[in-house]
Amino acid sequence: MVVSGAQAHMEQNPGYYQKLLDGDKNDKLVETIKTDINRTFPDNVKFRKTADPCLQKTLYNVLVAYGHHNQSVGYCQGMNFIAGYLILITRNEEETFWLLDALIGRILPDYYSPEMMGLKTDQEVLGELVKMKIPAVAELMEKHGIMWTLVVSRWFICLFIDILPVEAILRIWDCLFYEGSKIIFRVALTLIKQHQAFILEATNFPDICDKFKQITKGPFVTDCHNFMQKIFTEPGSLSMATIDKLRETCRANQIAQR
Amino acid sequence: MEAIWLYQFRLIVIGDSTVGKSCLIRRFTEGRFAQVSDPTVGVDFFSRLVEIEPGKRIKLQIWDTAGQERFRSITRAYYRNSVGGLLLFDITNRRSFQNVHEWLEETKAHVQPYQIVFVLVGHKCDLDTQRQVTRHEAEKLALAYGMRYIETSARDAINVEKAFTDLTRDIYELVKRGEITIQEGWEGVKSGFVPNVVHSSEEVVKSDRRCLC
Repeated sequence: MVVSGAQAHMEQNPGYYQKLLDGDKNDKLVETIKTDINRTFPDNVKFRKTADPCLQKTLYNVLVAYGHHNQSVGYCQGMNFIAGYLILITRNEEETFWLLDALIGRILPDYYSPEMMGLKTDQEVLGELVKMKIPAVAELMEKHGIMWTLVVSRWFICLFIDILPVEAILRIWDCLFYEGSKIIFRVALTLIKQHQAFILEATNFPDICDKFKQITKGPFVTDCHNFMQKIFTEPGSLSMATIDKLRETCRANQIAQR
Repeated sequence: MEAIWLYQFRLIVIGDSTVGKSCLIRRFTEGRFAQVSDPTVGVDFFSRLVEIEPGKRIKLQIWDTAGQERFRSITRAYYRNSVGGLLLFDITNRRSFQNVHEWLEETKAHVQPYQIVFVLVGHKCDLDTQRQVTRHEAEKLALAYGMRYIETSARDAINVEKAFTDLTRDIYELVKRGEITIQEGWEGVKSGFVPNVVHSSEEVVKSDRRCLC
């Protein structure tokens, strides 16, 4: 709450969250959110309709409030999982709202807006980073014509929810709130680099997709402490200047392709 | 070991959010049904072999896509390399039917210079009591667009096999007649590994030669 600035925003805006909940609602937005409430963590007992207290209501409130707070984003699928996780972590509706605001409004660059420009840019940036740091894998992807959006969309949009083990996600999110979106590249590069030989065994398209699903499981990621250390060593140096520069170029590419 | 198949077709499954795209694909590829299914974020990939005639197998690569509108900026990149598509609506959700036209326009704009053979799928037909779209009007719409129409249920496993295999057969016929051709740099149709027994027809021999060279 403190390092992300969420605490400060909450304290500076007393009553703001409640006002959003009480205010007029955009019907279309509300309807879109409603369709996903039942489909968010249905296996978690606290998110079941019959649970008491039922976190579905909390999730609904946070997403509706956020959609009205940040109207240029509204609601994007994936935010339901992130908000759901934040609710489980904080067990506090209003704090969840402000943390979601810190993530989507400030930490992540434009992933969830209707054009998804930040997301498409960052996926291309990852592609460039792989080219620089793990060229054999980049070559393999190129050879089989695989777009990065296919294998890593969920990594970026859901911030590794349902991809990595919970412990690893929580540690990654700590870093995310603390030092920003660069950590996503570090995690992605570590996963790919560590499993380079394994990925390179693939000889066809479905195999490659399958390998990318497998590299997020197993002892390497469940040994969370070791995994977190690897994140900061395995990909080598990764300066913000490099990322900013790549983002600028890739963003220009994306705009040109529109 | 690589399974033996004559051709590989790439199919894309599209339609509004919550019409049941992922459930239909999972029923077809994994044979099971989940009461609750996560929203698909971005694009997902599945595959299965189908036998369209004894000894003639086609490998299907199936692309599952997110239904929410904003994800189209990502999913539209996948139309171009698809030869076939299942366009789903939910028979209990009128709006998803009204959006069929928009989906077709969306694909048309992004598939060029290629074409996609579509089948219109009225999904969730087990929920007949909640039906908001009649079979008649859906058939009429499909006819207007030159598509097949089929009603399916992933829950009760109704017509799921048929939806995919009919589409596969249609594409196979078009390939056989030369109306769809294998092209360099296009992933929609690829020729595969052919066992000796099916070397009877000419195009098979051709594709076999191609893969040996």
